[in-house]
Amino acid sequence: MDWKQVPETVLRTDVLIIGGGAAGMWAAKRLKENDPGLDVLMVDKGPESWGGLMRLAGGDFAAVLPGESVDDWVKDVVYYWDGLCEQDVMEDIFSQSYDRLLDYKNLGCEFLEDENGNLRGVPQRGLDHCRLYPAKLKGTGGQNMAEAMVKEMVRLGVRRMSRTLVTDLVKDGDRVIGAVGFHSITGEYYIFQARAVIVACGNASWKPGYNSNTSTGEWVDMCFQAGVELRNFETLTVMNAPKLFFWEGQAIYLALGGRFVNALGEPFMDKYSPVLGANTDNNYITRAMAIEIRNGRGPIYLDLSQIKPEDMVFVKPQTGNQMMNYEKLLAEGIDFFHDKNIEFIPQVQLTLGGAATAPDGGTGVEGLYVCGRSRSLDYVYMGGFGLSSTAITGYITGNAVADYLRTASAGREVSVGEAAGLKEKLYSPMGDAGLTPKQVLIKVQNLMSHYDVCLLKSAESLTAALGELDRLRTEELPRMYAADPHYLLKYKEVEGIFLLTELYLRASLLRQESRGSHYRLDYPKRNDKDFLGWIVQRQGADGSVVQRVKPVPLARYKHPVDRFYSDNFTF
Amino acid sequence: MIQTIDSGKCVGCGLCAAKCPLDVLRVRAGKAVIAYPDDCMTCYICERSCPQGAIFVHPFKEAAPPVLPGILEFLSTRDGRPS
Ligand SMILES: Cc1cc2nc3c(=O)[nH]c(=O)nc-3n(C[C@H](O)[C@H](O)[C@H](O)COP(=O)(O)OP(=O)(O)OC[C@H]3O[C@@H](n4cnc5c(N)ncnc54)[C@H](O)[C@@H]3O)c2cc1C
Repeated sequence: MDWKQVPETVLRTDVLIIGGGAAGMWAAKRLKENDPGLDVLMVDKGPESWGGLMRLAGGDFAAVLPGESVDDWVKDVVYYWDGLCEQDVMEDIFSQSYDRLLDYKNLGCEFLEDENGNLRGVPQRGLDHCRLYPAKLKGTGGQNMAEAMVKEMVRLGVRRMSRTLVTDLVKDGDRVIGAVGFHSITGEYYIFQARAVIVACGNASWKPGYNSNTSTGEWVDMCFQAGVELRNFETLTVMNAPKLFFWEGQAIYLALGGRFVNALGEPFMDKYSPVLGANTDNNYITRAMAIEIRNGRGPIYLDLSQIKPEDMVFVKPQTGNQMMNYEKLLAEGIDFFHDKNIEFIPQVQLTLGGAATAPDGGTGVEGLYVCGRSRSLDYVYMGGFGLSSTAITGYITGNAVADYLRTASAGREVSVGEAAGLKEKLYSPMGDAGLTPKQVLIKVQNLMSHYDVCLLKSAESLTAALGELDRLRTEELPRMYAADPHYLLKYKEVEGIFLLTELYLRASLLRQESRGSHYRLDYPKRNDKDFLGWIVQRQGADGSVVQRVKPVPLARYKHPVDRFYSDNFTF
Repeated sequence: MIQTIDSGKCVGCGLCAAKCPLDVLRVRAGKAVIAYPDDCMTCYICERSCPQGAIFVHPFKEAAPPVLPGILEFLSTRDGRPS
């Protein structure tokens, strides 16, 4: 087939939303509720009515309940994120969290309650105030939320396209005017003409397990090229994952007494943090796991024997894919709750890096907004914050874009030349010989998974990793090909993962200290004088990565930065 | 990972192919087939949506990348490493 001849369609809309996950759907909902006359087109590379990662999520939701203090929650995260918290933004976000929980309730999503109808919460990461609220039945909480939101999309008349990857933004000067993309089954080419564009593509991940179906770095690449500022790419979520299968729910079982033990049977987290033990963030645990394994005390096992019987309702799957998984493992002779030899390993999942935006999700580019997990807020992940932050920031950005469109003029049309140039570039990898996207993907995943690249970093190991990435970029990436539109989508994902990995490595090199999930063996201490700030990266004039440290504006903030979560650990 | 689709049971309704998050399954000649097995992430959505019980997904996922050795050791011992 001659890919230059592939059919193309121009689609016109008021707002193009890239990504139909929780964040994209919340933004669409608010746009339509503000102005039913707006045309909203939501495009997702996943299947029809997918709803993003939320479909697989447990449904745990972080919210500040009435009567609780928002300030207490903000103080908790200032401490938990080692100071890297936009305090005013988080105050606003937390203060809307209960409203969004109620919205989900009104849409028919049920949360776990006691006999008096009070929500039953689980404290997070040994923090004083932050809690998550689990779904009523363990296993289908997120699926119910996804289905409820998809129904809202239908009710509100949001136009939706599936199996369609958006690959490039189109700008006119400092303003976004549209985008292009293609259908991953038919190969058809699309030119989107939009007055505003919202990026709601989720976290950027290295495609492990359940995150395989969300973004890698496609949107990172698009935003980078559009001139958007990106931050926090030195952070990772390195999960403690069962070696052989999937299991969700760490945010809850670690809070209720679950713990990891090494090959000698020692609950080793007690050694690294006598205060918190295993009741902490996964990244501190996987860092310790790496040290244990490196020092010959692996493998690592999970021990759930300390969980109280009355708390098992929070932990045991009751329905949905989690229940099916549990039963299938039983059929294989694996009893997750009783076996003592289930091996766990550290696994790189994603970065918490994302767009550095204005409070309403606006970027420096007119008409371009970012919400949900593609917008970087948290410096260390907290259970339940995925679903609450996506609802809240989607809501905020939907309102902001509706506002913007009240006065925004119409942008110019995407020109025939622009569309044709992007089309030629897009289909250029089509072919039948070379390396498959998967072959190249595995090399980048392997590169990231070395313990001295993802957990115990140093200038030497990070520089070596950058060198190896460069080698893959010059020797292997040009040999990668796509045999059909399905593989072209995978191709674009793997292409995006190169920039993602580079941003991670460069930010990790710049931060010559340890903070949050970022740990440098050669700089094991915090250095507030130079690094109490966000590492912001953007594209320079020559296409390279330009970096700076943007200090936390302490004078402007309400709460002092004088307690640090990482002080609880000695490695 | 997805293991089998029993073509005797499959009626070609296409629900699995429509719902697979990763476009692993396609319907060809009236039957669902595993078109892109490498992309399966073991989410069970296909098996749960199959009205005929024709699909079996094994609970084990694809092998995870190793954390050991460190990159410095890896690079210094790799066979055929270009200097
Ligand atoms: C197994 C699992 C369990 C979880 N459990 C919980 C929980 O209990 N509580 C909680 O708070 N969080 C949980 N999370 C996290 C939570 O689900 C996510 O943080 C949240 O759903 C992210 O929403 P999002 O809209 O930002 O991104 P996503 O859900 O990732 O949505 C982004 C969408 O954009 C699409 N997309 C990406 N790039 C493009 C492109 N270039 N073109 C077109 N489409 C594109 C993707 O297909 C996707 O549908 C869980 C996650 C997983 C995987």
